[in-house]
Amino acid sequence: MYLIRKMRSQFNSWALLSVIFSVLILLPALLIMVQLFAESNENWEHIKEYMLKNYVVNSVTLVSFTGLFTVLIGVSAAWLVSAYKVPMHRFFKWGLILPLAIPPYIGAYTYHGILNYTGVIQTTLRNQFGIKVDQKFFDIMNIPGAVFIFTMFLYPYVYIITRSFLENQSSSLIENARLLGKGSFMTFIQVVLPVSRAAIVGGVSLVILEVFNDYGVVKYFGIQTFSTAIFQAWFGMGDIYSAIKLAGTLMFIVVLILILEKVIRGRKQYSYSTSKVRPLQPKELKGWKKFAVLSFFISLFALAFAIPFIQLLQWVYMTYDVILSAAFADLIWNSVFVAAIGSVLIIIVALIIANFSRLSKGWIGKVFSKITVLGYSIPGAVIAIGVLTLFLSLDEKVITLYEWFGLEPTLVLSLSISMLIFAYVVRFLAVGFNSIESGFDKVGTVFTEASRTLGMSVTKTFFKVDIKMIKGAIAGGFILVFVDILKELPLTLILQPFNFYTLATKTFQYASDERIHEAAVSSMVIICISALSIFFLHRVLEKEPK
Amino acid sequence: MFVQIKNLTFHYKNSQKPLFENLSLNFKQGEVSVILGESGSGKSTLLRLIAGLEVPSRGSILIDQAVMNDNFRFVQPEKRGVGLVFQDYALFPHMTVEKNIKFGLTKMNRKQKQARMEELLAIVGMEDYASRYPYELSGGQQQRVALARAMAPNPSLIMFDEPFSNLDSKLQLQIRDELQEILKRTGITSIFVTHDEEDARSIGDRIILMNNGKIQDEGLPEMVLQKNKEKLSLAYV
Ligand SMILES: Nc1ncnc2c1ncn2[C@@H]1O[C@H](COP(=O)(O)OP(=O)(O)OP(=O)(O)O)[C@@H](O)[C@H]1O
Ligand SMILES: [Mg+2]
Repeated sequence: MYLIRKMRSQFNSWALLSVIFSVLILLPALLIMVQLFAESNENWEHIKEYMLKNYVVNSVTLVSFTGLFTVLIGVSAAWLVSAYKVPMHRFFKWGLILPLAIPPYIGAYTYHGILNYTGVIQTTLRNQFGIKVDQKFFDIMNIPGAVFIFTMFLYPYVYIITRSFLENQSSSLIENARLLGKGSFMTFIQVVLPVSRAAIVGGVSLVILEVFNDYGVVKYFGIQTFSTAIFQAWFGMGDIYSAIKLAGTLMFIVVLILILEKVIRGRKQYSYSTSKVRPLQPKELKGWKKFAVLSFFISLFALAFAIPFIQLLQWVYMTYDVILSAAFADLIWNSVFVAAIGSVLIIIVALIIANFSRLSKGWIGKVFSKITVLGYSIPGAVIAIGVLTLFLSLDEKVITLYEWFGLEPTLVLSLSISMLIFAYVVRFLAVGFNSIESGFDKVGTVFTEASRTLGMSVTKTFFKVDIKMIKGAIAGGFILVFVDILKELPLTLILQPFNFYTLATKTFQYASDERIHEAAVSSMVIICISALSIFFLHRVLEKEPK
Repeated sequence: MFVQIKNLTFHYKNSQKPLFENLSLNFKQGEVSVILGESGSGKSTLLRLIAGLEVPSRGSILIDQAVMNDNFRFVQPEKRGVGLVFQDYALFPHMTVEKNIKFGLTKMNRKQKQARMEELLAIVGMEDYASRYPYELSGGQQQRVALARAMAPNPSLIMFDEPFSNLDSKLQLQIRDELQEILKRTGITSIFVTHDEEDARSIGDRIILMNNGKIQDEGLPEMVLQKNKEKLSLAYV
């Protein structure tokens, strides 16, 4: 009785929509999970017998070393930036985030272009200095090379989260340690590392998810991993069945890692609390220490951003007159079109679920917000396979329906743009949701309640009050999602309709065809849009606390 | 009886023990009742239950003979016709004073809205501030706008959750007298939550003493305060 009344008090249409959306979001993952336990076919037996171990070993190697190096680099950069002042401090503080604007696959082919036989280093050595170096010393198309690429372009995840934690939360701890006579290094080891454990784990788990998600780098470098295997099964052998099994196995591994993350992080939550905590005051550095820190910043910025960026600029200069054409305009239009529709849908769904979840308090709301976050943990290729399975089975139903009416059966839903956009929503809902949820958290529920006691229903309140109060969060969420879709590669490669390319997939195609110079223009567009959004978001983030 | 609360039981999701157990309480029409109690005793929660912002697990609430909730029904807050002035006012920051006051006037046309808004601004003495935003007002001014906003839709019952807690003591006195004046003039039934004895004494027709979710005493202000003098002074040391 209580429950029924309780449900009634909870604005039915919001609940209903939230349930429908959540089921839709879950469906692809569920389909894969169910299929994981279906009986196997010959192909899968073969893969399991001879290849699976290789995929696991390669993926785990990549993930472990990338994780290790991103922590080393990200955490030390975060600590040095928040604790010390060096020349151009503000520039590095923001500049060290910039590598995030370069998707790893673009970084990969750019570095390959710099280092290969016809690249700038080898030709300079040959032509200016007459030195011939064996190309094998410059070969990065291997596992260590991939780890280097991932580390350079993903460490900012660890850096950002750890830095904001150190700056906002820990000043008294660190100052106390200094007062107690601990040197800088000991402070770092004994205080900074332990207290920021949760933040570091949070950052590195984002890195790990990105590495599992990656297809571009490993494919380009010829490394066999789960993503490449899924592509191979689907495109190479047309075997959706094995693709599903592979996707399921990968999803299983990812879930294990997420559980591990929870355990390691323990009950400590890192938070971006913007309350009145006193920020950590950076200390002026002198002498060789200043020089050392400065060179660390400069080399990191150069390797992770400046060098590839300048190289791309040069390639853009070489090729822009060929590339910039009507076809390129189409490409931009396609990308902007899917990204815009995807982002709008995501923001709408996120608003509905977030609003329901915050107003229903209790555990129901928590369950919904957990479901929406799921997609972001699952690699793009896995989601693509799940969505494909879903749409193929829907199409079967549609085809029988067509035959029933005596019409020509065709594949209607599969490989259409709507399927691609649906997959984007599943994959990136979490990004929009997190932004909107934190917006709601900041304003609380008091305005909503005030509006309701003044005679407005939940829905009217939503449009007249709630939405207006979280405009910033909505804009921020939209931009983040837009850029993520724009950069997205594996999922788009699997699901893009015939003859439909986005900036990202075209870039990758050029690079795979060894036309890396031609890939530069579209890469540059992606990088600039990402950089702008990063700049914009951090301006907003920095302004907000005051 | 204007508001009738019968056998109300309620607990917050994350607490084991119910905050209210079989609470029964009545409020008379046209009366100013003051709920007095120390922090955490459940005063705000009671107002939220009456307004429909929380759902009780058992018991019933009637307002003006109409059932707001019992074991089968639950009337949504927007349908209850109850005004609530929040502890920190909750004025919509993205709307001017004028828009804030007009917000609840859904059933009126443009002209009527304007007239009602001006009428209320006059009552609270804020005629010159219609186009200001809440952050451009002092605490006392915000409080008056919040009062005007809650009264605008003509609620049959208006409730105040510690409306003076954000004001300095001089302003507190002034606003309290003004508020009392307005309430008397409009004859509206009101419930007033505070933990300040002086507030209770000066504004209330009746005092309800609450402690730990239970009614300890109720009656005329002087009597209740006199009778519970020791307890009260202990509680506020
Ligand atoms: N949202 C909530 N979830 C769980 N417990 C709550 C919540 N709000 C209040 N409580 C608890 O319910 C009890 C009563 O709270 P309430 O806010 O009604 O007290 P109050 O009398 O208004 O106090 P104050 O004078 O400090 O405003 C307190 O013990 C409080 O901790
Ligand atoms: Mg209270």
